Order: sequence, then C-alpha cells, then structure tokens
Amino acid sequence: MRIDVQGLTVRYGDTVAIDDMSFSLSGNKIYGLLGRNGAGKTSLMSALAGYRKPSGSVQLDGAPVFENAASMRQVCLVRHSADAADKSDKVSHVLEYGAAWRDTWDNDYALELVDLFRIGLKTKVGELSLGQRSALGVVIGLASRSPLTMLDESHLGMDTPTRYAFYDTLLHDFMAHPRTIVISTHLIEELSSLLEEVLIIDAGRLVLQEEADVLRSRGTEVTGNASDVDEFTAGLTVLGEKSLGRTKAAMVYGALDDGQLVRARQLGLELGPIALQDLFVHLTEPVGGKR
Amino acid sequence: MFDDRSPIYRQIADRIKADVLSGALKADEQVMSTNQYASYYRINPATAAKAFQQLVDEQVLYKKRGIGMFVGAQARDMLRAQGRETFFGEVVDPMVAEARAIGIPLAEVIRRIEQHEKNGGV
Amino acid sequence: MKIFRHLTTALTTFSALVAGGAFAFVVALTFVVSIFRDVEISAWNVVASQIGPWFLLFIGVYAIHNTLPIAIAHGRTRREFLVAASGFSVVLALVMTVAEWLGFLVEGGIYSLMDWSAGEHGTQYAYFQMYLVWVAVGMLCAAAFDRFGAGGIFVLPVAFAFVVITRVQIPGSGDFPFFRNVPSVLGSGWHVLSVAAFLVALAGTWAIARDMPVRQRSA
Repeated sequence: MRIDVQGLTVRYGDTVAIDDMSFSLSGNKIYGLLGRNGAGKTSLMSALAGYRKPSGSVQLDGAPVFENAASMRQVCLVRHSADAADKSDKVSHVLEYGAAWRDTWDNDYALELVDLFRIGLKTKVGELSLGQRSALGVVIGLASRSPLTMLDESHLGMDTPTRYAFYDTLLHDFMAHPRTIVISTHLIEELSSLLEEVLIIDAGRLVLQEEADVLRSRGTEVTGNASDVDEFTAGLTVLGEKSLGRTKAAMVYGALDDGQLVRARQLGLELGPIALQDLFVHLTEPVGGKR
Repeated sequence: MFDDRSPIYRQIADRIKADVLSGALKADEQVMSTNQYASYYRINPATAAKAFQQLVDEQVLYKKRGIGMFVGAQARDMLRAQGRETFFGEVVDPMVAEARAIGIPLAEVIRRIEQHEKNGGV
Repeated sequence: MKIFRHLTTALTTFSALVAGGAFAFVVALTFVVSIFRDVEISAWNVVASQIGPWFLLFIGVYAIHNTLPIAIAHGRTRREFLVAASGFSVVLALVMTVAEWLGFLVEGGIYSLMDWSAGEHGTQYAYFQMYLVWVAVGMLCAAAFDRFGAGGIFVLPVAFAFVVITRVQIPGSGDFPFFRNVPSVLGSGWHVLSVAAFLVALAGTWAIARDMPVRQRSA
C-alpha cells in the first residue's frame, strides 16, 4: 500500500504535534518510525489511520483516508491505549469485534497468537498487565491482516522473551503475508535488523527517511589527534564530538569520498562505523552537538 | 548476531563467503532461502535478498529459478584468489605493526611462523 | 450493515435481558410489599417510565463513547457507524416498547388475580417516543463530551428540554413542577415535538461526531 503525506499538520490547541510534514512510502515493507517521546509518532500514525481529520493531505494508494470507507477497510492502527478494546471487555469479546467488523480478520491466527502470548481469553482487558495489553494489541494488529498495519510502541511493558516472540511473529507473518507495516519505537537496537526503511521524526518534523542499511553506512566515527580531527571534519556534518585528553572522536554524517578516505589515512585518523541507535540519538538532539 | 554498525547485507555476504572459504558450504550446494535466512537471523527478508543479490553479482552464488540459490562451482577458488590478494595488506601488515608497537622482534614472529609450518599448519 | 447487525444483536439482546430481569425483580418486590400494605400503583410502570429511560440513555452513551472508537479502530468510518447507530436506536426503542407492553400485560394479569389496583399508564406510542428520544439524547451527550471535553456541558440544557418533552404523556412518571399542564397546552402537538426532538438529537450527534478524532484513552 502506497502512502502519500503532503503538508500534514496536527495541532492540539496551541501545541503543534506534526508540523507541515510531507513524505511518501512505496509500501510492502517494514518501516520503522523512530522518534523521541513527544516527537509526534502517535499523532502521525493517527492521521494515517483516519483517527483524526488531517489538515494537509493523507492518501493511501492515491485516495484520501479520512472517512473513506474503502481506504479505512485496509488500515489497522494499534496504539498502546488499545482503542479496539474496552477495559471491561473480556479478551474473547475483543476478538469477536475483530471477527465481526474486519473483512480480513483471521480468527484462527488470532487465537494462535493469544495462546503464544499467554493471554487468557476470559480475562478482562483492564485486568491484563501492561505487557499483556501490548501483546493483545499485537494480536489485533497482526490478525487484522490489513494492507497497512501500524503498531505504536507495541513492545511497551513486554519482557525480553515476549519481545523476541513478537519480533519473530511479526517477521514470519510479514513474509507469509507481505504488506505495509509501520512500527514506531525507540528500542532501535533490538528492532533495527527487522526494518527495511527508517523514518526519523523530531519535534513534528521529518528528519530523514532512508533505507536502514544505507543509514548504517552513513555515519562514520573519526578518531585521532584533536587538531587533525578538527581539520578533517571542517565542512562536514558533525553530529557529535567527544574528547579524551588529546584524542578526539567526531561523529560525521554522510558518505565520505575517496579523497577524504586518503586524507584520513594520511592524517593517521581511525574511521569506524556508528550504530543506528547512536545516529538516532544525535540526529534528534535538541541542544548540544552541531547540526 | 549482527552488529548494528555496518550494513547488515554486507555482514551476511561476508559470513556466507567465509562459509564457502572454509568449505562449510560446498560447490553446487544449496544455501538457505531468503526467508529462512531472515527468520533464522531475525532480519528483514529484503536485507537478506540484497546480500544474496550481491553474492550473485560477485558470482559466488547462482540462481536456479524456482528452486533457490546455489554455491558457484568456482566460488571457492575465486574467493581464495581474492583472499590471497588482500592477505598481506589486511592481515600481515597490521600484525607486523602490532608486533613493532608492543616490542616483539620480527625475527621472533618469523620463528613462530616457521614452527607452524613444521607442525603442519596451525 | 456489519455494525448495525452487531449493535442490534449484542446491545438489543443485552437490553431485553435486563428488561426481563427487571420485570422478575419488580413482580417479586410487589408480592413482598403486598404483605405490608395495599398495592396501589403499577410497579412495572416505575421501571418502564422511570428507570427505563435512564437505561436507554446509558445505552446511547455506550454506543458512542465505547463502540464508535472500536468501530473506527477496526476500519469503519464514522458515517457508517452513525447510520448503523441511528437505525439501531429505532430498533432498540421498538424492542423495549414491546418489552414494556409485555410487562404491563403480564402484570395486569397478576394484578387482577390479586385484586390490586395499578393506576393508569401511557400509550405504547408514548413509551416508544420516550425511549427513542432518550437513546438519541444519550448519543448526543456522549458525542458532545467526547469531542469537547468539559465543554460538552453546553448540550445539557438541550438534552434536558428534549427529555422533558417525552415525559408529558406518561402518567405517574414524576411530575415536573412547571410542566404539569404541558400536555393540555400542546394537545397532540407533542407527538410532532418528540419526533422532532429525536431527529434533532440524532442530527446533533451526527454533526458533532462526524469529524471527531479518536482520543487516546488512559491506558
């Protein structure tokens, strides 16, 4: 499912959650939506899912999503507040809603997942632990088999084994039923190998959209004598620096050309990769660290 | 499994090459499918596919339509030849530099290597 | 259609069961009371005209506050839901009117057997219109408070006026100090008025909920 966002703005009173954002996703990939708390991840996904009327345009396969029955059928957003469930409802009842209202719902798969995550069918949603409630969200999200499936912070409160079960399940189901999946998270280290493309947003704006593997090769840590490092990084995009005595390490963003690689060798500088997580931290840093 | 610091597809490609070199993967042997690889290593299938494509481009693997990926008949020889080209630059030179830095005379390093030869390999 | 079917089967069945339970309870209560004093009023009328409307109001609130967000989360539009909910409110009011009628029928039999006096009660049509308006007003209030938060309070005077209209033809339903003579003043015009109240409440619900965002619930 193709997604086109054009000039999207979301406001809550005086607060601007999404600020004139535009991007396109070609679809049928697992996308990671990365951003700090309050960056606007949930607001963006809510607009994509037709949960709120957008100012600007949000189109799925070329059709506006808000109050468009044909588009809405193909979207499933699970926020951690569990919109598709009432606290007083039993889990079995929650699944019945899915079966009753979703044409694409796979109830056998839903029951299989409920079993996998050890959620009692007779338990009331309000009595589930945070991790179990998140897992129930994953059940709804995956069993819906929607062409656009969005999971907002679905790992919240899950313990490590459950998170890994979640990642495995997600991957298997994606391979069996390829579709567009958007996952928001800040647990980047754990999830990043599952992602094909990454969107980083900060303060309601899109910082970058890049293939995850390309992004991994974008950052370089330059280490060496402080004055040499300064000379080398002059004119480059430096995300962050740290010093230890006369040694300095600078995080450079952007591919280096052959001339720069030769120069680095001449200066005796060490070039190393940067983890996605570190790149994310520095790309979304509000103060300190040059942009 | 995979570190998050360099492209994962390259790490996968390197790992498969290492398996071919060591003989763990033999000529004309089928390698795991993209999906098997993806679920085994918990990575995105597109990333695994990209690694395989690179290996096909480098003629380490070849594709049999509808069946899967296989190790090229000449892959091991080719990788060995490539390895020999880079061996001195990537392995020996840094070792010599390290030996100098910590004060081991090169003669001693050579003696050690000769010992390995006498014992018949490592 | 899926939403309408779900609402009517799940919520209407629930409401009918509650009505049945309430009837069994008041009949038992009437027998207990008859031990101590003469029975002079219809106990079922208290349920049908006092408690019933509030229950229907609650169902209206539940439909919008609880069910609408779930419908949207499962890929349905607000428009689809509101169409279904409008139809549902009529079906629910009808079913509850039938329950009310059956209640009076059975109670009447018991009363004449026991030689109790029940007093008068309203016509089926009066009950039907009352239930209709109360469901719709419940939906209107829920939409207003969900959309505008505390600001939804502006809807209460309107809601109050609407529900008052429905009560004028229900004897023994509790007299309002200033509205005692409304039926005679309005004559049969109140039928038109209560249908109008239902339609306006629905239209208001529609207008408010049409673009309503799905709020984050406290987890």
